[in-house]
Amino acid sequence: MSVRLNKRSGGREARRVSRQTNIEQIIPFIERKIPYYELLDEAGLELIERNADTVLEQIGLDFKDFPQALDLFSAAGADVQGDRVRFPPGMCRSIIQNSAPAEYVQHARNPERNVIIGGNRTVLAPAYGSPFVRGLDGVRRYATLNDFQDLVKLTYMSPGLHHSGGTVCEPVDVPVNKRHFDMVYSHIKLSDKPFMGSVTSAERAQDTVDMVELVFGKEFIQTHTVLTSLINVNSPLTFDATMLGAATVYASNNQATIISPFILAGAMSPVTVAGTVTQILAEALAGMAYIQLVRPGAPVIFGTFAAAVSMQSGAPTFGTPEPSKIMYLTASLARRLGVPFRSGGSLCGSKIADAQAAYESANTLQAGALCGVNFMLHTAGWLEGGLTVGFEKFIMDVDQANMLQVLLQGVDLSETGQALDALHEVGPGSHFLGASHTQANFETAFYRSTIADNNSFEQWQQEGGKDAGARANAICRKMLDSYVAPPLDAAVDEALIDLMVRRKALSEDRSY
Amino acid sequence: MTDENYDDEEIILSELDDEELTLQMHDDLYDGLREEVVEGTEILLARNWSAEKVLNEALVAGMTIVGIDFRDGILFVPEVLLAANAMKGGMAILKPLLVESGVEPIGKMVIGTVKGDIHDIGKNLVGMMMEGAGFEVVDIGINNSVEDYLAALEEHNPDILGMSALLTTTMPYMKVVIDELVRLNIRDDYVVLVGGAPLNEEFGQAVGADGYCRDAAQAAQMAPLLLHNRRASRA
Repeated sequence: MSVRLNKRSGGREARRVSRQTNIEQIIPFIERKIPYYELLDEAGLELIERNADTVLEQIGLDFKDFPQALDLFSAAGADVQGDRVRFPPGMCRSIIQNSAPAEYVQHARNPERNVIIGGNRTVLAPAYGSPFVRGLDGVRRYATLNDFQDLVKLTYMSPGLHHSGGTVCEPVDVPVNKRHFDMVYSHIKLSDKPFMGSVTSAERAQDTVDMVELVFGKEFIQTHTVLTSLINVNSPLTFDATMLGAATVYASNNQATIISPFILAGAMSPVTVAGTVTQILAEALAGMAYIQLVRPGAPVIFGTFAAAVSMQSGAPTFGTPEPSKIMYLTASLARRLGVPFRSGGSLCGSKIADAQAAYESANTLQAGALCGVNFMLHTAGWLEGGLTVGFEKFIMDVDQANMLQVLLQGVDLSETGQALDALHEVGPGSHFLGASHTQANFETAFYRSTIADNNSFEQWQQEGGKDAGARANAICRKMLDSYVAPPLDAAVDEALIDLMVRRKALSEDRSY
Repeated sequence: MTDENYDDEEIILSELDDEELTLQMHDDLYDGLREEVVEGTEILLARNWSAEKVLNEALVAGMTIVGIDFRDGILFVPEVLLAANAMKGGMAILKPLLVESGVEPIGKMVIGTVKGDIHDIGKNLVGMMMEGAGFEVVDIGINNSVEDYLAALEEHNPDILGMSALLTTTMPYMKVVIDELVRLNIRDDYVVLVGGAPLNEEFGQAVGADGYCRDAAQAAQMAPLLLHNRRASRA
């Protein structure tokens, strides 16, 4: 008679359950353990910093229709003439370095999902801002609130995405002046990951702040950051009142902003890498300095969105070498400045999730990981230069996002990692598949793609000869079918709905 | 693997009734527990089960589940190796009894990589899956000439000849071996299976094999069927 404990693992039933159920182990963000890839040496980066100072001093930037910014800059020592602001050399840098945090915690309603943005961390978020979606039926159409909610659900269910993002698509079926309520509510209700606020007007930013107050508490948000929102620069060298208005609301409430020069190089910046990076640095310095003048210590991210414009057609292009070089350089400059950096994503120009999409996205993702992006917007779903979010593409990108976590982990040099016991055990010839080291480690040894098909040709053919898009389609449907919302306190939910209903009733539906 | 979903009570095999024990042996095979499978085999024999019945209902049925889950990506290669090893443990006890009682064995296979080719991991996997399916496997290793194959066939008298190649430059040698079997008028004495990454169905037919096995799981699935058909056509 034999008595055994802890040896049996339950046979097939238990194994199937353990292999097929996704018992998610929350990894709230990536902690990088590999070096940064530096494209330029010290002298090269200093040259660009000097040139950016020249731009800030001699050319300056326009802060349009926003007197508050002009007053703050003037009081801080800038030369203000009309909307044009010129900065003495080093002024912006010193304002930023005096008070901007090198990293900050963005709190989520589930504390396990709080993210640290900055330092050696990388936080991945889905695509942002697309008016169109490419649905699971393969049709390109205007996005709806329902699509928005599906994308929030998919992001929530994707362990490799740490952040719920913001305008995951533009719900064009909801009036422009009211859709921000539904977007913010969807992020809160359908996910428990951190998210981004509305930036399309100061008023909508304030609505966002009022909503998160209901979730986190009025006092809490004045001392903690619960929103990270995207403030684009109207490149070249221009900030507009809409963005500045939203940025001001967030900064005054201790909420984070990403100051992102939006560059289609060749059109909105010079056609060279160094020239574009100089402009980006000047724009980001001015914007981040403004945030620190509004509220010293408010978290602010150095953002960069850069594509190159086709000189034949004027169309933006993605995944080409020049924007990658721009990203490497701006990442270095952000580190030298001492602030978190936003860039990267699965950027591509393709209309569908095809080889062009995959190549271009992979180029941007890899460069983003190696250069040291801290907050990566557009990690999943991006198609067509951002005009469309594709559901199949989303699933494919999430697989890539998961891989970045493993890549950035670096190399395991523990005794297990060194595997000398395995080498001793197996020796020449034979194979490692049965070695005890393999038996002990195989399950987590290699990244397992969610969508790649590595079976024999015959098996693949028998199973319908599906391409990656078709496989992603099936996974996406399955995920949406099995979505379960994270619990939300009923009183908070009620208060949010009440606020939305009341505020929506205050104005007519508008298309602006 | 997690144990959270499994009530880890002590299981005393001898206290289980026949049906429970059979199911437990399926689980133990699945979990690659050789000692337990051996013990279960002995208990069933002591309860006057025939060796054939133990083989089919406890071992082969259990390994069939392993094969399906391997194909479906639930089980990993190292786990299948453990399961096959557990199966071998049970088979070691049953084999003399099966011979004694005159039960036709599931089958015997001679397997080897062809001349010029020293790649053998795929072939080894096939061998292990075949053993898992209850076959007796004689592995003659790598770099086998026609003479090597003929000598092994002569010595071991198998039901199945398996040939493996990884290189496009070595796979044509399979035809050399099969042509020689035809010339010696012994081709039909064996089921000939071929496999390896650069092969396909069409190649298998062109060289005159009975089957092309795209992977180890399929070899173990296909072999009993081909053998059954061959035996049936002779009966």
